[in-house]
Amino acid sequence: MPADAWSLTFAVGKDSPQGARRDEEASGTQDFPSRGLMAGHSLGRIDDTLLVREAQRGNRAAFEELVRQYDQAVLRLAVHLTGSEHEAQDIYQDAFLKAYKSVGNFRFECSFYTWIYRIVTNLCLDHLRKKQVRKEEAPVATDPDGEAYDVLEQVADGRAEANPERDLMRRELARRISRALEKLTPRERMVFELKHYHGLKLRTVGEVLHTTEETAKNTLFRANQKLRSALADMR
Amino acid sequence: MKCEWVKENVVLYVYNELPDDARYELEQHLARCSDCTAELKTTRKFHAVLSELPVEEPSPNLLAASRMRLGETLENVKPGGFWRRLVFDPGAWLRQVQFAPALAAALVILGFAGGIGTSYKLMSNSGNLESLVPRATPAPTESSITAIRSISQNPGSNTVSIQYDTVSTQQAQGSLNDQRIQQLLLFAARNNYNSGVRMDSVDLLTQQPNADHVREALIYALRYDSNPGVRLKALDGLGPYVKNDSRVRDALLEALMDDSNLGVRAEALRLLGPVRGDSSVRAVLVNLAEHDENAYIKLQARSVLAQLPEFD
Repeated sequence: MPADAWSLTFAVGKDSPQGARRDEEASGTQDFPSRGLMAGHSLGRIDDTLLVREAQRGNRAAFEELVRQYDQAVLRLAVHLTGSEHEAQDIYQDAFLKAYKSVGNFRFECSFYTWIYRIVTNLCLDHLRKKQVRKEEAPVATDPDGEAYDVLEQVADGRAEANPERDLMRRELARRISRALEKLTPRERMVFELKHYHGLKLRTVGEVLHTTEETAKNTLFRANQKLRSALADMR
Repeated sequence: MKCEWVKENVVLYVYNELPDDARYELEQHLARCSDCTAELKTTRKFHAVLSELPVEEPSPNLLAASRMRLGETLENVKPGGFWRRLVFDPGAWLRQVQFAPALAAALVILGFAGGIGTSYKLMSNSGNLESLVPRATPAPTESSITAIRSISQNPGSNTVSIQYDTVSTQQAQGSLNDQRIQQLLLFAARNNYNSGVRMDSVDLLTQQPNADHVREALIYALRYDSNPGVRLKALDGLGPYVKNDSRVRDALLEALMDDSNLGVRAEALRLLGPVRGDSSVRAVLVNLAEHDENAYIKLQARSVLAQLPEFD
């Protein structure tokens, strides 16, 4: 797949005098696999612009290149938020499909990074709301820990050391935390998730959620307080 | 106070979201305050606890499966960008930068044409000022009227023409029943500097003194207008209501006792004749019959009193 994208970017590049530069950038992409992490998004900004333009012209390879830049972060967020690989995959699919269909409407008024995060967080918020309604409607029918199970299993796998007792404790702790997180409102959960677990700046969180930095800050405070009182005995 | 602020902001400090100056201040405070240092420690510990739910990188398998699924779906979906370009979207056309100079030129030309057209119209009309005066003026507000210039009634109809000043002189025309006309008349009756105009407006208002505010305006004119002619006119308008409206009666009695003009007083006396039986009227009449300076009023008061039945 990457080879496809590379050659297509190259083919487009030949049309313009900037071709050589794009070519270099495209090959640079291959040299640094770490670009899949969103942390490096500012460096990828110029590439993004070119790739988005290409995607808007209907170049699917360019779009797929964009997907590869962001999809790991999207999946990471979705898995952590939903606690389920299966649901995370659905969010991933919906998010990029939506992005693909509406990339023509992208006007570069914000970064592509913010734009894609907006799509993902909206889908995640929908997911959290639906989950909340389901929980309210049928509190007994579904197992509240069931959703979190996949991820917690992974936690144990990743850190399985010689000490099974410690492992058990850690798993229990993680379960309690995810239960406390589920008690937050979808918006509080989203802000907390983006800030605490994914390290986004509050300014970006505000942009992504179509609100101000101040509001994001207040929501973060509220979430923190709720979590502290829910997990009071664990401090 | 300081500790409170620190406790509120320690979360932001831990998240590295405090502005540099606030962070410096907070650190300075932490160096001195053991309570706040403990709070920071607790917050940090709590955050460490929360991180026990780690954020794992998605497994390569999951990532590959997701990419594959998406790729398969994209095969069958057309991107928005491609299809959108086939549809004519004027908004998108306007946004195109290359159209900007042409658009700017078009706007400038349009502006010039509009300007020239307007000034041409104004110049061709300058000889005929009247045509610039809008015929259908909007209902004037009292505050915008500076003065009423003239009032005239078209003979044989109840159409009234009123010329009044706002910032510029305007003219309003309409039936007496027109609210706009009434508003102007009421304004003229109270506020105008020209007594002739006041006279005209009071005269016209007497044609329909049924309305409450019209009667009030007439009473006002009778009490406070400096021109005796205007006061007389108001008096005439109020005459028929002396029986039923105590406010009118009081105003007439006041005029009878205190008006500086003999004619007004005599007229008030005449109009009060039909209600001479009223106790307040009688008291005034008795007073006038005995003490009034003017012999005519004295005489008239006496003659009115004489018509009263003895026992009353």
